[in-house]
Amino acid sequence: MTTEAYPDAGRPGMTSGGIIITAVSCLSALLVVAALVYATGIGQRHTAALAAADCEPNLSPSGQQCTTQPMMAAEYTAMLAPASQQLTTDAAAYTANEGDHLAVAEAALTAEVAAERALGRSLAAFPFPPAIAPIAKGLIQANQARAALTAEQAASSSLTRLRSFNHQVQLADAAVQTEMKLVRAAVDAPLPGA
Amino acid sequence: MPRNTVRPQPDQSWAQDYYYQPASPGGTWPATPAAPPTSPPRAAKQAGKTAADHQTQRRTAKSRVDEWMEVDFKFGGSRIKRKAVALVLLGLPAPVPLFFMLPALLTLNSNTFAVSVDDTLGTGAEVCLFLCLLVTPMVTLTGQHWFVPLRRWYGIMMAACSVGDAVAASITDDFAGGVFGRVAGHVFELMGFFMVMLVIPIVCTSNPWAQRKLGKYWKRFQRLTYVIWGLLACHLMLLEGFGFESGSNGSGFAGDGDAIFHQRFYQYSACSLFLLTLRLPPVKRWIVDRQKEGRMWLVWVTVAPIFALFLLGFVFILNEQIFKGIDSFTEHPSAE
Repeated sequence: MTTEAYPDAGRPGMTSGGIIITAVSCLSALLVVAALVYATGIGQRHTAALAAADCEPNLSPSGQQCTTQPMMAAEYTAMLAPASQQLTTDAAAYTANEGDHLAVAEAALTAEVAAERALGRSLAAFPFPPAIAPIAKGLIQANQARAALTAEQAASSSLTRLRSFNHQVQLADAAVQTEMKLVRAAVDAPLPGA
Repeated sequence: MPRNTVRPQPDQSWAQDYYYQPASPGGTWPATPAAPPTSPPRAAKQAGKTAADHQTQRRTAKSRVDEWMEVDFKFGGSRIKRKAVALVLLGLPAPVPLFFMLPALLTLNSNTFAVSVDDTLGTGAEVCLFLCLLVTPMVTLTGQHWFVPLRRWYGIMMAACSVGDAVAASITDDFAGGVFGRVAGHVFELMGFFMVMLVIPIVCTSNPWAQRKLGKYWKRFQRLTYVIWGLLACHLMLLEGFGFESGSNGSGFAGDGDAIFHQRFYQYSACSLFLLTLRLPPVKRWIVDRQKEGRMWLVWVTVAPIFALFLLGFVFILNEQIFKGIDSFTEHPSAE
């Protein structure tokens, strides 16, 4: 592997450096060609991997090419969590004041209506896959009914009138909870066709 | 039209350093003494077309690029060297990984740090390390020196990214064992921890004062960068192994279809092959010999596939950096 000179040729022969760089160059050329060949199959592998990895094309909220079921479940939870927290806070404020503070109880109900309508908008905008969309539509309708009832309750002129809505609101709330459980179960289940 | 001027070179020892330096600390350089870099072309003509002439011509041609870079131009009432502009433009991308994490830092978004700081700053440190290591092979190939200051800049940015990564991981990671457990609780983390421990003294001594104080030991000390380079291989091997798992490794999400390109250790290997080969003393000697013979085309032809492989690996590292970095910047971190 040492330098050898060939005076007759007028140029030095292959040195160890030449051998090394030629070998590495050939290896690199092979790898580059292999990479190009591999790159030609990206489309097919992409399609196959979409089918194999619980991917639902064109649903991704972050603009990616596919949404996996866990990704969608996480997005759904992230959307629902703040709304649920707000509704719980408003409901607690209403319960604490429905007995003796009409104005405060009405303010709590007004905030609850706003939270319910915001939740409705978020649900309508959420990219549910076609299989879940009808179930989600039921949830949106139940939520709208509850918001309408809560708005009517918030417009009450007396504490007695205010409390008279409680039972109806509880029923509407139960309907929303039932729909939510259905949607939750659908979102947590593997996507159809996966 | 501003009048361009060429300032006299106060010290051209760098050119001599390049052409006369040994190929390696223990290596040898061609014994034939070369003419000084500033030898006039006329003298070369008189001496005939020998190997030394080729070397002289080559040196003159190469130094022209460096000289061109030394030329001033007028901008806003002051004179700026072309080299300064080129260096600023080439150095600008280096702090981008840190910039990507800035919104999360300003809003104290621990979620973004916990999920994506490793990818954003870790990949940023890798990019800066490779750019830092790229300088020497480019000097070997082109004979130009105007971009050598970038080596220090990329090194400093690599240190900033890696230290930032370690600090963020020590605070936000969810590994057990306290701060030490979070930065060194797993073997791959331990490799990263060693890298950070090495990069701190290296960056602290990357200044003229330390260079003067350390004298002949300074260069040896700075070569610890090669240990970091090796530790990075261990870090990535332990992180992702030698195989790939259809998008589970690297930045490719499931369904990406090009999982091999996203495998970080493969990217590292593709880049390192070029950087390592062009550092080997026999290879450097071979390149210089071809330069002397005036057969630089042979060098370019031979190096082209190795450089193509480097680019292939580097492009996917950059892809990872941009993809994860933008997610971090928008504070919607990607956990892929």
